[in-house]
Amino acid sequence: MAEPRPAPASPADAPVVDVRDVSLVYAGDRGSAGLRALDHVRLSVAKGSFVSLIGPSGCGKSTLLRIVADLLAPTAGTVTVGGVAPKAARLARQIGFVFQDPALPEWRRILDNVVLPLELRGVDRAAREARGRELMRLVGLEGFERAWPRQLSGGMRQRAAIARALSTEPRVLLMDEPFGALDQITRDRLNMELAAIHEETGVTVLFVTHSIREAVLLSDKVVVMTPRPGRITRVIDVALARPRKLATRDDDAFQDLVREGNRELERGYADAL
Amino acid sequence: MPSEPAAIARPPLARWFPLVWPPIVTFVVIVGLWQGAVSFFEIPVYVLPSPVRVWQAFWAAPTTLLGHAGITLFEAMSGFVLGSALGALLGTAFAYSPVLARGFMPYVIAANTIPVVAIAPIIIIWFGHGLASKIAVTTFLSFFPLALNMMKGLQSYDRVVMDVFHVAAATPAQRFFKMRLPSALPYVFVGLKINVTFSVIGAIVAEFVQADRGLGFVIMTTYRMLAMPRLWAAMIVSALIGILFFALIALIERLAIPWHASMREPQ
Ligand SMILES: Nc1ncnc2c1ncn2[C@@H]1O[C@H](COP(=O)(O)OP(=O)(O)O)[C@@H](O)[C@H]1O
Ligand SMILES: [Mg+2]
Repeated sequence: MAEPRPAPASPADAPVVDVRDVSLVYAGDRGSAGLRALDHVRLSVAKGSFVSLIGPSGCGKSTLLRIVADLLAPTAGTVTVGGVAPKAARLARQIGFVFQDPALPEWRRILDNVVLPLELRGVDRAAREARGRELMRLVGLEGFERAWPRQLSGGMRQRAAIARALSTEPRVLLMDEPFGALDQITRDRLNMELAAIHEETGVTVLFVTHSIREAVLLSDKVVVMTPRPGRITRVIDVALARPRKLATRDDDAFQDLVREGNRELERGYADAL
Repeated sequence: MPSEPAAIARPPLARWFPLVWPPIVTFVVIVGLWQGAVSFFEIPVYVLPSPVRVWQAFWAAPTTLLGHAGITLFEAMSGFVLGSALGALLGTAFAYSPVLARGFMPYVIAANTIPVVAIAPIIIIWFGHGLASKIAVTTFLSFFPLALNMMKGLQSYDRVVMDVFHVAAATPAQRFFKMRLPSALPYVFVGLKINVTFSVIGAIVAEFVQADRGLGFVIMTTYRMLAMPRLWAAMIVSALIGILFFALIALIERLAIPWHASMREPQ
C-alpha cells in the first residue's frame, strides 16, 4: 500500500486487554441450535484502568472473562492480552483471576495458597514466602499465614484469593463477581481495599459485578451488557475523582452515573423480553 | 492469631481424658456383667467361659498366641499394602481414562462382591500352602475398595480450583500431585479403613481354609478340641490386632490430612 499508515500505538498506551469482534456459541445438545452467549463483542481495557462489566445473569460476563483467561476459546474474533494471545499470556503468568468462590484448596495453609502460582512457576521457597508475606500485608491478612482456609471468614478467604491472583504480578486482574457472596458491610470494606490495591499496584482490572453502585464506585469505565445474545450496549465513562471513598456514593455525580447505568440496564431487559 | 485450632494448645491429658473415659467405663461394665452372669447362672465353660478363664487361657501360652497373631497381622498388612497400592494404580488409570473405566468397572464391582470364603480356597490352590496364598487373599480383598475410592477421589476435585490451576499454567503433573491427589486423600483413607477390616478378616478366613499357623489356625484347632477359653482368647486377640491396625491408619490419616473437615476436634 502506498498510503502512509498511522504508526502503531506504542506499547505504553496499547490496551492491555483487547477483545475484537468476539462471538461465542455454546454447542447445544444433539442437534439443537446452541446458545449464542456472546455476539460480536468489542472491548479494550487501557493499561492501569479499572473496567467493570455489568448486566443481568446470563448476558455472558463470565464467558467473556473466561475467554480472556484462556479458559474458553471464542467461536469467532480475536483477543489479546498484553499484545499476545490469551494462551501465551496465561503461560507467561500474565493473568490473575479471582472467582466468586475463593477456591482455596483446603489442604494448603493460607500462605501456601497465596503463593501457589509462584510454587507452580518454580520460585524457590524463601523467595515465594517473602513475596507471599508482602501480599498478605497488602490484602490485610497479616498473622493468618499458618491458618487453614476453613478457619477464615468468607471475606478473608476472598482477600487471600486476591493476593494469590496478584502473586505473579499479572498484567491484568480478572474478577468475576468476587464479592457476590459477601454481606454488605464486608463488601463495602473489600471494595475500598480493592480500590487501594488498584491504586498501589497499578494493575489493570476487569471486574464483573451485578451491582451498578459497586461498578461506578470502583471503575474508570462501566461496560453495560444485555443478554440473548450477549452484547455490549453502552460504555459509561466514570470521571469521578480518585481516590474513591465510600462517601463518594453520596455525591450527585455518583448518583447520576448510577441512574444512567440503571436506565441502560432496564433498556437491555426491555429489549431482551 | 487463629493460626492453630484452640484445642491444640490444651495439655494432652485434659484433651484426651474426655475421649478416653467413656469406653473404659463401658469395658469395665461389660466385663463385670459377663463375669457376674457366668458365676451366677453357672454357665458351662464351653458355652461361655468367664473373663477370668479367658485371661488364664491367654497367659497359659502368651507368646505362642501372640506369635500366631503376628503372623496373621503380617499377612493382613502385606496384602493391605500390596492390594491398596495396586488398587490405587488402577483407580488412577480409571480416573484418567473413561474408556478403561467403562470397560472394567462392571467387573470390578462384581469382583468386589465375591465372598472371601468362596475366593480363598481358589487362591490357596493357585498360590500353595504358605504365607503367599494368605497374602494373595488379602491383596485381592484390598484391591477393589482402593480402586473405587481412588477413582472417585481423583474425580472429586473442585472445578474452580482446577480453573485456578489452569490460569496459573500448572503442568499435568502439578495438577495431579498438587490438586487431584490431595483432593482424593480423604477418599483414599475411606478405602484404607475398609481394607484394614477386610484384610484382617481375609487373613483369618484364609488360615481357616488351610494353614498351620496364624489366628485362623488357632481358632480352627481350639474349636476341634473344644478348648473354648483359648478360642475366646484368640478371638479377642484378633479383634485387638484389628483395632491396633485401624489406629495406625487413623494416625497416619491425622498426619496426612489435618486440614480435612473430618479431622476437627470432637465437640
Ligand atoms: N458451559 C456452558 N454450556 C452451555 N451454556 C452455557 C455454559 N456456560 C454458560 N452458558 C450459558 O451462556 C450464557 C452466558 O453465561 P455466563 O457467561 O455465565 O453469564 P453471566 O456470567 O453474565 O451470568 C447463559 O445463558 C448460560 O446459561
Ligand atoms: Mg457469571
